[in-house]
Amino acid sequence: MTAGQIRDTIRAVLCKGLTLEQAEQITRVLVPVRVSAGAPLMREGDGATGLFVLLTGTVEVLKKAPDGSSRSIARVEAPSVLGEMSLVMERPHSATVQAVTDCEIQLLTKSQFQRLISGESVAAYKLIAAIAEVLAVRLTRLDQKVLELSAHREAVAPVEELQTFKQKLFTEWTF
Amino acid sequence: MSGFDDVNYYFRKAARVMDLSPHVERMLVTPFREVKVDVSITLDNGELGTFIGYRVQHDKSRGPMKGGLRYHPTVDLDEALGLASLMTWKTAVVNLPFGGAKGGIAVDPDTLSPRELERLTRCFVQQIHDIIGPQTDIPAPDVNTNAQVMAWIMDEYSKIHGFSPAVVTGKPVDLFGSKGREEATGRGAVFALEEHLRGAGLGEVRGRTFAVQGFGNVGSWVARFLHERGGKVVAVADVRGGVANPEGLDIPRLVEHAKRTRTVAGFPGCDAITNEDLLVLGVDVLVPAALGAVITDANARDVRARIVLEAANAPTTPKADEILAQRGVTVLPDIYVNAGGVTVSYFEWAQNIQQFMWEEDRITAELQRHMREAYATLARLVRERSVSFRTAAFILAIGRVGRATVLRGV
Repeated sequence: MTAGQIRDTIRAVLCKGLTLEQAEQITRVLVPVRVSAGAPLMREGDGATGLFVLLTGTVEVLKKAPDGSSRSIARVEAPSVLGEMSLVMERPHSATVQAVTDCEIQLLTKSQFQRLISGESVAAYKLIAAIAEVLAVRLTRLDQKVLELSAHREAVAPVEELQTFKQKLFTEWTF
Repeated sequence: MSGFDDVNYYFRKAARVMDLSPHVERMLVTPFREVKVDVSITLDNGELGTFIGYRVQHDKSRGPMKGGLRYHPTVDLDEALGLASLMTWKTAVVNLPFGGAKGGIAVDPDTLSPRELERLTRCFVQQIHDIIGPQTDIPAPDVNTNAQVMAWIMDEYSKIHGFSPAVVTGKPVDLFGSKGREEATGRGAVFALEEHLRGAGLGEVRGRTFAVQGFGNVGSWVARFLHERGGKVVAVADVRGGVANPEGLDIPRLVEHAKRTRTVAGFPGCDAITNEDLLVLGVDVLVPAALGAVITDANARDVRARIVLEAANAPTTPKADEILAQRGVTVLPDIYVNAGGVTVSYFEWAQNIQQFMWEEDRITAELQRHMREAYATLARLVRERSVSFRTAAFILAIGRVGRATVLRGV
């Protein structure tokens, strides 16, 4: 992918409000990363590296269940961004990301991003605004989900639960 | 395995198979009562010694609660709760009319004189006498407690409540103890293995090879019973070292040697072997009969035995359990295999209540019946539900405890 294409992808998926020059400013500090199919891009619990711009390919997001097994929680296809939270928050990766196909990726490291911020780069501030918007949308969705879940809990009355348990004990689980 | 969460790993695995709701799961896991008491005594040098005693009673739906008392510095409520719930499931697997309990005192008994140990035990009984009893909660020996400690408990409890031999089990045979109690766990484990060999069409103990880790009260009896039945015990190890002989060890002579030297190491006419090597020896059956967590994800892939007979408590970590299952190694689980101890404790209790003594033949026959009936049910569950023996044991236990609970009325 040429520098021009990378710049256009960044404007399309990362931050629509960037001017050509601002997108170029960010493109210049990106580090290219190639990941072959099956290899991990980031691991849950590892220290955050920065924001990944997925240019080509497909990745899978895996999260550890309490019993230690990994569960796939999403599949992400290019073009897209991953790890945006790591730019605004000090914490390890919240999930493992693994390449499903060979992937072409550009990495905006935390340190490069910090450098842009300290240079008062408008592009970097626009990026933060875009990330804030993404997080706000997610929070709204999460609120909705919490509401649904708590409604579901009330729907299954403990009384019925106990009835089901009693019934099963004397039918399915009698030996 | 000592912490509550560790014990619950297998419980939850079975609960998932049974599709228990979170409320029901919580009800079954939550203990009936947790007690923490001050045990203060005057030490021999005149100083005051203050210790903390614990008793956790997990479930009483199937009968009086039953479980050991241990004297060990690591005893606390979390450990006691995990082990108490394990007793609930264990007594249910072999169908004894008991619930589960566990407790002890946080103390290193090696630092106490025998007189201090007696005072400590009697003081502990003073503190918990109102929550234990022949129809309530019946303690038994555990880590660092023995028949003498049980005798003191019986005596102290009887001072308050009148003659009550049935308040504890594991008493000396000369003081209302039961014949066959000392060898019960080892004998039960060998019965469990015989049931499995017969049930799975694998023949009998004769001619098969065994490696036994641990040569204490459990391991030495397992080795003796295997040897009596014509099994070849090719390796044995304890904390101080191990011995191996591919032709089979002379177990009766090894028992004599261990009695004299307090270790199996140095037994003439055989090679030395480490505990690590013993676990991965090419034998038919591996018998961990000492410590917990000896088969881990680090060595489970190297275990060459096709059957693991868990005579010890929790010798296999959850991760290792999965690896062994993937490799097709049959694990006969602790919760069933070492239930012979508590089963003969039940016979002791029954004899005390009846004020009638059973002969050893009867003890052995009844023990075999309990082990046989439990195996038949477990094997059917394993076959019909495609689960491991361990999960089957928890399903069987949860089913029995659950039915008792709801029949009494929740």
